[in-house]
Amino acid sequence: MSLSKINLVVIGHKDHGKSTLIGRLLYDSKSIPEQKLQEIEAELAKAGDESFRFAFLLDTLEEERRGGLTIDIMQTPFKSKKHVYTIIDCPGHREFIKKMLTGASQADAGVLVVSASEGVQDQTKQHAFLVKTLGIQQLIVAVNKMDQLNYKESKFDEMREKLQPVLKALGYEGARMVPISAFTGENVFTKSRKMEWYTGPSLIDLLDEEVKPSTRPVDRPLRAAVQDVYEMGNEKVIVSKILTGMLEQGRAIVLDPSGEVAEVERIQTFGRDLVKAESGDSVGLVLNRPVNASRGQVIGYPQDRARAPKSFVAEMIVFAGATVKKDEALTIRLGTADARCRVREVIEKIDPINLTRAAGSPDALAAGDVGKLALIPLDPLCVEKYSDFPELGRFVVEGKSGTVAAGIVLETEVADVECFARIHAGLGDRWRARPAC
Amino acid sequence: MTVPSIDDTYLDALEKRSIAIIREARAQFKNPAALWSTGKDSTATIWLCKKAFFGKLPFPVIHLDTGVKFPEIYQFRDTLAREWDLQLIVAKNEEAMKRGVSPQKDRLECCTLLKTQTLKDLLVKEKYDALFLAIRRDEHGIRAKERYYSPRDDNFRWNYENQPAEMWDLYVKPSEDFSHMRVHPILHWTELNVWQYVQRENLPINPLYFAKDGKRYRSLGCQPCTVPIESNASTIDEIVKELEISKIPERAGRAQDKEKAYMMQKLRSLGYM
Repeated sequence: MSLSKINLVVIGHKDHGKSTLIGRLLYDSKSIPEQKLQEIEAELAKAGDESFRFAFLLDTLEEERRGGLTIDIMQTPFKSKKHVYTIIDCPGHREFIKKMLTGASQADAGVLVVSASEGVQDQTKQHAFLVKTLGIQQLIVAVNKMDQLNYKESKFDEMREKLQPVLKALGYEGARMVPISAFTGENVFTKSRKMEWYTGPSLIDLLDEEVKPSTRPVDRPLRAAVQDVYEMGNEKVIVSKILTGMLEQGRAIVLDPSGEVAEVERIQTFGRDLVKAESGDSVGLVLNRPVNASRGQVIGYPQDRARAPKSFVAEMIVFAGATVKKDEALTIRLGTADARCRVREVIEKIDPINLTRAAGSPDALAAGDVGKLALIPLDPLCVEKYSDFPELGRFVVEGKSGTVAAGIVLETEVADVECFARIHAGLGDRWRARPAC
Repeated sequence: MTVPSIDDTYLDALEKRSIAIIREARAQFKNPAALWSTGKDSTATIWLCKKAFFGKLPFPVIHLDTGVKFPEIYQFRDTLAREWDLQLIVAKNEEAMKRGVSPQKDRLECCTLLKTQTLKDLLVKEKYDALFLAIRRDEHGIRAKERYYSPRDDNFRWNYENQPAEMWDLYVKPSEDFSHMRVHPILHWTELNVWQYVQRENLPINPLYFAKDGKRYRSLGCQPCTVPIESNASTIDEIVKELEISKIPERAGRAQDKEKAYMMQKLRSLGYM
């Protein structure tokens, strides 16, 4: 039996029990080496602090131990009956959004931890909103700390009722919820005997049931991103990563945005040639005629090739210490390409915590903001909608000191930006069922 | 809990990701190099580089020689460097070695001078802007916090508190703020995955990993600081089977990981691997 790998991000407000849950998942799945457990017992005996027991496991940085915070992300694997989960713990503190997004960008699904006693807090909403913005569709909600409320069914029902409208507003209507106690382990790995009123699966079984590994879209149109060109002997080998679809030897392909056409003479890997390569493969291509191939180009078949639109609309998250202004020229990285884009319009600004939208058309997005912008590439650039081709529909904005914002492409070739802005400002999350513009 | 088998497609997926990361780094950095300890992880990484570049690495491979490595390491290194046509650079901190720096006196100082300092001196001399390292997240708590691309500042320090954002596979770009970038192609692999890959690809492996007289080395450090484990696994297949059921951490025999609390953390922040 083959296991699939699933990347899971654990999000939620500070101290709602994210780290404890992760520690519990690792512990109950027996993923922690014996020696490590003994080390922890020894350290705890010195510190005398029982309550951070499992979170301690993950916090190996000195400062974190002292402060009780989780500063950075970690990727720690554990196995269930069905999958190998790699958990990405995310800091709950509001200053660490950049780190939280780095972790979330690798996730296939999310577990939102909400304390049953504290209820929905700022980072509960903010995190869920941000992961939705990054394109994560699968979310499970763990209502934690049931032990503090005597495992009462009424308390879980209360939380569920409070959560449902919040989840709906965030775009996660219908997300399933489990009552758990990460600290005592109830309903995490095994069904709880203390909550017999709960007839659903334990958290791990729910994850196994609900979460699907990201599938490689082989049936989609071909998209391959050119990483580099190697000169080998007297041949140019175009090194590319197949993102979607299937590349076949002998077929004619187009290199965009330049539009050059050639046939695939050979698909090369170390040691052997392939007849075809599919999404996920990194291969070398030798074409039947010389072309101007370079990093950043996108390869497709002529009938459904990649396009370089004159404009596109994106939803963007701005990191701390940065602003994005109207008419500004941004440097973005999308796929393997670098390009400059001008901000044609800041269509809308959204506060991720209160989900409020600023009235009118704001001039800029400040640090921590999420917003929609219309962008115009100043250099030819292949851009796709995130919903069509995720790897070519997501990008980062580079500032002087690295990445300052991340974005998802909602629409390309928006002919009339003003029309788009009028329709979309005020639609809230219903934009996802938007009319064409 | 029985471990279902990891099949080829799982290892293929790991391999493809690593190759894509290696090729990205080659495209973005002008003067990279790879570190090679001759251990299974760095040997697998060098093999992945061979695959990425269709047989011949376009950059040098560095061995940090502390002078007290196991003799088997030196033999293995020279043989494989020839077979794989590697541009091998052996770097030593002769000055510190002459001064008699040793683990018996101070392990932190020894590791720092004979490994970290040697690397620093070489980087200053050769101006490498990227280094490929074979570290994995599951090796140690501190390494679990690493990223695929991880910058080092001018003092070769790792600012683990304020790491740059790394979104999706858009890795951190080179910058004047960094002295060099550490690139970690097998970060997402586990110890078991590496052995399964070694098994599948039939990679040459240092004989120290195989059991002799009921003991074998699970991790290869320098001779004075590496302790073997109890084992009878004398082939790659046996090692894979043993790992599938073992609960002892891989680096259990590595003294610098344990000694003073947070030793590994301190070492890494000073530029260690």
